[in-house]
Amino acid sequence: MRHVSPGGTAPWALALLLATGAAHAAIDGVSGPHFELIARDGFILTPDGNSIHAWGYGVAGGDMQYPGPTLIVNQGDVVTLHLVNELPVPVSLVFPGQAGVVATGGVPGLLAREAAPGGDVSYTFQAREPGTYLYHSGTRPELQVEMGLVGALIVRPATPGQAYAHPATAFDHEYLFLLTEMDPRIHEQVEQGRMDEVDLTDYRPVYWFINGRAAPDSMAPAGAPWLPNQPYDCMPMMHPGERILLRMIGAGRDAHPLHTHGNHAAVIARDARLLESAPGAGPDLAREHFTVTVAPGQTTDALFGWTGEKLGWDIYGHAAGDAPQPREYAPDHGKPFPVSLPNTQELLNGDFYSGSPFLGALGPLPPGQGTLNLEGGFFFMWHSHSEREMVNNDVFPGGMMTMLLIVPHGVEIP
Amino acid sequence: MRTCDSRVLLLLLLVAASREASAAEYFIQVRPLSRTMPDGQAVAMWGYALDEDHDFSTLDSPITAPGPQLTVPEGDTTLTVHLYNGLAVPTSLVIPGQVALMTPTWVEGSAVYVGQRPAGNVTARVRSFTHETAPGAVGVYSWTGLKPGTWLYQSGTHPAVQVQMGLYGAMVKASAAGEAYPGIPYARAVTLLFSEVDPVLHEAVASGTYGPGGAITSTIGYRPRYFLINGEPYSAAMGPLPVGRVGERILLRFLSAGQQTRVPVLLGAYLSLVAEGGSPLRYPSHQYSVPLPAGGTVDALLIPDTPGVLPLYDRRLGLTNGAATGGGMLRLLQVSP
Repeated sequence: MRHVSPGGTAPWALALLLATGAAHAAIDGVSGPHFELIARDGFILTPDGNSIHAWGYGVAGGDMQYPGPTLIVNQGDVVTLHLVNELPVPVSLVFPGQAGVVATGGVPGLLAREAAPGGDVSYTFQAREPGTYLYHSGTRPELQVEMGLVGALIVRPATPGQAYAHPATAFDHEYLFLLTEMDPRIHEQVEQGRMDEVDLTDYRPVYWFINGRAAPDSMAPAGAPWLPNQPYDCMPMMHPGERILLRMIGAGRDAHPLHTHGNHAAVIARDARLLESAPGAGPDLAREHFTVTVAPGQTTDALFGWTGEKLGWDIYGHAAGDAPQPREYAPDHGKPFPVSLPNTQELLNGDFYSGSPFLGALGPLPPGQGTLNLEGGFFFMWHSHSEREMVNNDVFPGGMMTMLLIVPHGVEIP
Repeated sequence: MRTCDSRVLLLLLLVAASREASAAEYFIQVRPLSRTMPDGQAVAMWGYALDEDHDFSTLDSPITAPGPQLTVPEGDTTLTVHLYNGLAVPTSLVIPGQVALMTPTWVEGSAVYVGQRPAGNVTARVRSFTHETAPGAVGVYSWTGLKPGTWLYQSGTHPAVQVQMGLYGAMVKASAAGEAYPGIPYARAVTLLFSEVDPVLHEAVASGTYGPGGAITSTIGYRPRYFLINGEPYSAAMGPLPVGRVGERILLRFLSAGQQTRVPVLLGAYLSLVAEGGSPLRYPSHQYSVPLPAGGTVDALLIPDTPGVLPLYDRRLGLTNGAATGGGMLRLLQVSP
């Protein structure tokens, strides 16, 4: 490799990542098939400093969270859920895409049996088909979905490392994109007991979330202690040549077009059903999109790959005779970087510039400037293509936005 | 306007002469009506009524919004609608997606141009996509070479106002007996037409305070407060909607005449989406959600495997009547054994 001095992947950055990245890349959540859940209130935080009263599901003995716990089960499991209601209003669970849901206990409700305040209700169903699903409250859903009573359900097929039974759905890493929005005026009315004023026909969201967090919190670590009710992050990471699975869920009431910089994403399934021409054919009807629209209530699975193809230069800075990196895009091997870099003292860099244009390399930075990009990764912004959703209550940048981080081989992905 | 009237009368005479030859022929009145929503709110609407005796002398069936479903027999490829305009403003009829001779109507001040603007005129604006029917007059609208499927008919005049006032309905045609599209048989069909009502806008239109200089000058502030399926918002008094039996191929015809995207979601079963906008899909899509854009139609097959109730609700959460919960775009689909 040819590196701008000081050169090489920073070994101390590697060590840091290795030390913290013990778990294999998987979506955070709780495993079934039996779930003890609660519904209670709490507060969620937004990066502009706001604290919003919210209702959420949580694991029994724990706190409410936004979104609710990601429920992870295996295909064929008989899933049972026991929900204890600590909210002052009735609450319930519905499972779009699941057949034969049997509810016991509680009281009859509009879409499902409900747990009265202080009461409980149970649901059971067999998770017959693998895929990405959502759940939400079936009680006064226009208010309770807005208040935060939503979550993801993932049903894994028998074969590990695949989204569905077909091998064409294999992935190296998977990430959840549960998309929601909020109008804080509604939450204020609920918090202050002004329920008579709640009118969901006057709905103007000003916050937009991925996995319950608005940018830049979306990129903070999972389980960050300063976000106690928003445990899930969304920071997709991959090595060049790998394939990542994006499990996208429209959990709010507006459609959100998710725009992936760096490459298109191939949509392979919608509502947990493969886009296939015949049963067992695999996702042969998959199509590539630069913007994947996720409609409310829908789920969409997409596969995303990145090699640096079509950049027209060698992302590693190889000389022609150097050995290639794993899964390197061969036609660009050894192709020189197409521009001459300006002198360091003539530059003003962002916090994520490593000092080098090459993957896995650090380079000189202006005196006094550090970098947050210790592994020499490449960053691609992923965001709602409805660009007004990239704000936190009118402050840019924020909202429905995160970064894809391409890291060199050898850097472990947590 | 005089040009327009004489043209319509001529057409009427021509069609009247051959009335008996065509099976798909409807006589429809356009009239204002008043609806009371479940929360007691009275809403002024416009709607359509079938004229059973074809003479437009009396009103002999209810005025409804949506209007009556127009069924074109599978063997027929033509449709003729005689439209009596009982409104105080001109109106017209279009079916997006079906082929018809379109004669746009342009206006500029009090001048009305039918078909083309005069040479050199670049300031007249289109008021109607096709020829208008003046208040008190009868217009004739014809389609040939009709394609099978699920289609929305609607006013083609000042559509931003007239459609949301209630001037819409479903037109359906099977490709063959018991077949929705070639190769897509069905046992029974259920129409689910979604629309919305902004009562403030309706009141302004009905009371003549809508338009330039009026209380409401455009539909930019559209804010629906009632969310209808087949013209009715859900209410607790509404029972389940019988759709068919276990194992039957039940064709759900989704249409949206509203101005906002709707996403009907079915709980407890999947649907097979077989057509969009009247075009059959080469490969059906298996979903429990049905994204339904404004003006769009989707055909979906439901083949239930167990009896019971399957809730169908708008996942954009138009589930209130005014501010009150437990209403809106919700139906409980009843599957019998």
